[in-house]
Amino acid sequence: MSARVTNVAVLGRDAPLWIAAAAIQRSLGHLGVSVRAIELPSILQPQDVYSAMPAIQGLHKQIGLSENLAIAAARAVPLAAQRYSNWAGASPPWMVGYDDPPPPGSDVDFVHYWARGRQEGLKPAFEDFSLAASAAKHARVPVYQDGSELSAAYGYNLAAVPYTSLLKAHASRLGVNVETAAIENVLIQDGRIGSIVLSSADRVEADLFVDASGTEGALITRLPGSQFEPWDEWLPCDRMVVASGASINPPPLYSQISAFRAGWLGLYPLQDRTAIIAAYNSKHISEAEIIESLPLLARIPIAGEAIVSPLRRGLRSRSWIGNCVAVGEAAIGVDPLESLGLYATHTCVSHLMALFPVERHAFPEAERYNREIALAGQNLRDIQSAHYSLNRRFDEPFWDECRDRTPPESLQRKLEVFSLTAHVPLNDEEPFEEQQWAALLSGAGIVPKRYDPRIDVAPDEALIQKVQQRLRDIAVAVPNMPSADDFLKQSREELEVAK
Amino acid sequence: MTKPLQIVILGGGTAGWMAAAGLISLVSPRLCRIRVVESDEIGTVGVGEATLPHLKNFNDTIGLDEAEMVRSTRATFKLGIQFLDWGFQGSRYIHPFGIYGRATSGGGFHQRWLRARAAGRDWDIGDFSYAIVAARNNRFDFPATAKATIASTYSYAYHLDASVYAGELRKLAESRGVVRTEGKVADVVQDNETGVVRSLVLESGEQIDGDFFIDCSGFRSLLLGSKLEVPWEDWSKWLPCDRAFAVPSESANEFTPYTRSTAVEAGWRWRIPLQTRTGNGYVFSTGFTNEQDAADSLLKGLDTPALDDPRLLRFKAGRRVLNWEKNCVALGLASGFLEPLESTSIYLIQIALMHLVPLLPLAGPDPRLADEFNRKINVEYDRIRDFLILHYHLTRRDDAEIWRYCANMDVPDSLKEKMELFGHSAQIEQYRDGLFTLPSWLAVYVGQGLIPTAYSPLADNGSTERLIADLEGLRDEISDRVDEMPSHSRFVERYSQVQQPWKLQPAETQL
Repeated sequence: MSARVTNVAVLGRDAPLWIAAAAIQRSLGHLGVSVRAIELPSILQPQDVYSAMPAIQGLHKQIGLSENLAIAAARAVPLAAQRYSNWAGASPPWMVGYDDPPPPGSDVDFVHYWARGRQEGLKPAFEDFSLAASAAKHARVPVYQDGSELSAAYGYNLAAVPYTSLLKAHASRLGVNVETAAIENVLIQDGRIGSIVLSSADRVEADLFVDASGTEGALITRLPGSQFEPWDEWLPCDRMVVASGASINPPPLYSQISAFRAGWLGLYPLQDRTAIIAAYNSKHISEAEIIESLPLLARIPIAGEAIVSPLRRGLRSRSWIGNCVAVGEAAIGVDPLESLGLYATHTCVSHLMALFPVERHAFPEAERYNREIALAGQNLRDIQSAHYSLNRRFDEPFWDECRDRTPPESLQRKLEVFSLTAHVPLNDEEPFEEQQWAALLSGAGIVPKRYDPRIDVAPDEALIQKVQQRLRDIAVAVPNMPSADDFLKQSREELEVAK
Repeated sequence: MTKPLQIVILGGGTAGWMAAAGLISLVSPRLCRIRVVESDEIGTVGVGEATLPHLKNFNDTIGLDEAEMVRSTRATFKLGIQFLDWGFQGSRYIHPFGIYGRATSGGGFHQRWLRARAAGRDWDIGDFSYAIVAARNNRFDFPATAKATIASTYSYAYHLDASVYAGELRKLAESRGVVRTEGKVADVVQDNETGVVRSLVLESGEQIDGDFFIDCSGFRSLLLGSKLEVPWEDWSKWLPCDRAFAVPSESANEFTPYTRSTAVEAGWRWRIPLQTRTGNGYVFSTGFTNEQDAADSLLKGLDTPALDDPRLLRFKAGRRVLNWEKNCVALGLASGFLEPLESTSIYLIQIALMHLVPLLPLAGPDPRLADEFNRKINVEYDRIRDFLILHYHLTRRDDAEIWRYCANMDVPDSLKEKMELFGHSAQIEQYRDGLFTLPSWLAVYVGQGLIPTAYSPLADNGSTERLIADLEGLRDEISDRVDEMPSHSRFVERYSQVQQPWKLQPAETQL
């Protein structure tokens, strides 16, 4: 092991920069790897929010960041579900909850019982059988309860600016060398980065360069063989606008995502305000119009400015080239729907750590990383694309076009198989388990034609009993969960004790 | 309520009766009716005496009693497969039905083992796998149910008489309402326009109509191959063996809880211990030897006297490009063939059936159901194919033409990349669908002499002394615990005699 990777330079900005730097430093810093973070100017606005699915808790563990500290600093509110309204004409809103997957080897997935019930006139929607969605509706945080067969998880809505500051402070505390700079030049030799010349005239040399610069791809785009494959066709919103609104008390434990004629608007509750993101297509609504319509769409008072930025959706064909690895938006660009943005960074960083190179002269890990990241990106895209494709807002050009486009082949397969069998065929690298997919697809209006025949072997009474038992279990579990206020209060107390 | 789907299974044998027993047990008679058309005149290949742990799951699911099955099929238990002379002459390793390390070690155990190796500890990785140590010592017991204990880190399969097993399934299937019709198929009636199969016409003149057909006709592949002309994808350039001789021999006194596979001059020999006899065979390539020499070689290599003359099987490695075409699905040998090197034949039947059940066209035919089935089956076949090729390709043997050929052949890119990354940094790919998880790949890589030049830097956590002490502790714990296990032969003897009390054993209901 003569030529180990001992110097890593992470260049980028905002949460992806600090997540990548902290993850490498925490795992390898004490083993002789030095991590240098080069911070480019932030593009965050005070209005910005990072909305994160439950995997964020795993990320915090990985980088050794206290959950309570993150909740306090980022004015975070737990997130148990997403609630979708106005995506389907007059249909009622529906939720995708973060239920934990059933233990392996257990019974056929519950969605089949629901699908069968639907055929026999059962009224409840699939979300009524979701512990996470029920908790969210009743303003309870689905913390784990001992001995319960059903369990659910939660992520957070986090105020982006203070969360990023916390991550930065955490990374430095772990031992990351932090400097703020602008790039003067990147020297390429033999398909690799030789060094980065900073505006200070300082040269950065490293065995491995991590590009966490966001859509700019400040490093990866300079290497030969980096192409960007756009997903505009399937993720039709090309702009987003962020703003801040009054806080909602008590804060909902779900993000509210409402479609409007040219896109959608999401409300992301925080402790002291409500963050607002609207994603839209600029051909169907102008910047002035969207800003003007925000209060109406959000239905809460807006404080301060609304800020528009472009949305870049697509995949870098190769995100690890030579000695440069792109993470987050530098590799995968998605829109903010379903809170997948931070997850994209997380998944890149996890793959990088799992494949962390052992030798600085050869990186055979790159091909596998590229394949895994491409598949992960495709899965993220398909989740979002499903929402657009399955909309039922008729006679609005934006939404009509979304429905008319052929979905990506990988999504098409999920849609078809679910429609026919109530099963969702999963790929490797899926952020959603089968039940989240089932919640999304059934919520968006697909009623499967069939369900798994294995459940029909049991007598009818047993099936009815099973369905009722599930509703009872949820009804018993939810009231025992803490409210948002209790949850946040406990978090503050624990933080005090820890200090 | 729509009319039940009429399913006709063409051919009995292991595939046909697994399908019949599986479908009748998993799908309500309100939804489908099942008939099996089988001829006593057509022998079955009796594929696969050696199985994989998944079979227990199948038996449990359909309610086939384990103790009775073990008695009737004269089964023994199996903790893995021993490979001799694969990779290089003198090599000896076991591919275990279990993990390396503790239940809590996670996927990085081998990285830590490599670190200890770099620190000068030249330890056999097999010493750290409970299943391997138990197998080497000819011990067997059911796995412990407490998840964290070392004795829970394995599962098991059976060596069994496949034709008796098929007979048990037939009994079960018929008792639950499967209708069997004796007879040979004389003609297949298809829809003129669509080519969909409508009925089978037997030599007796009887016509058997169906909505859905399962082709279990073996190598002949009467429906998928002959009638529907689904093309065959040939893999013999990677898996050159095209014949096998099989011969039973007398039972050895102490039977091993593992299958043995020995690489020889033009292929490999198997040895499968049953209670009352030993199954033996020689899988070989006519590109590198001839039938006479192969038969002689097999007989010469037996460790107990032969009970019969060697029986010849002819095959080709590959599969049909589609396993579901129109209203026909192929199972077993009608669908494809992969040599029994990793005991996958019965598994492939089982997994195809498990993929089929949720996709049955109960709400009417739809080509997209077939597409999904075919995609899943292809993944299964492709993963196994790569894993088998690895055994042949990862070799330094220079003593016979077949090994020189295999070492130099151009393997699928998917496999090339896997081998390169393992050799470079001990990375093992994990996937959701398909057979063979991390320990399987690890066993073959290391067993056949591919030792990574480096390990993941993450494995450098903690002091070397602590790592060494941990591994030594683990090795001792495994060895001590294995010493408490009964011998395999004694276990089988007891298990086959005692009846009721065994049903109370928690291990039986575990998986």
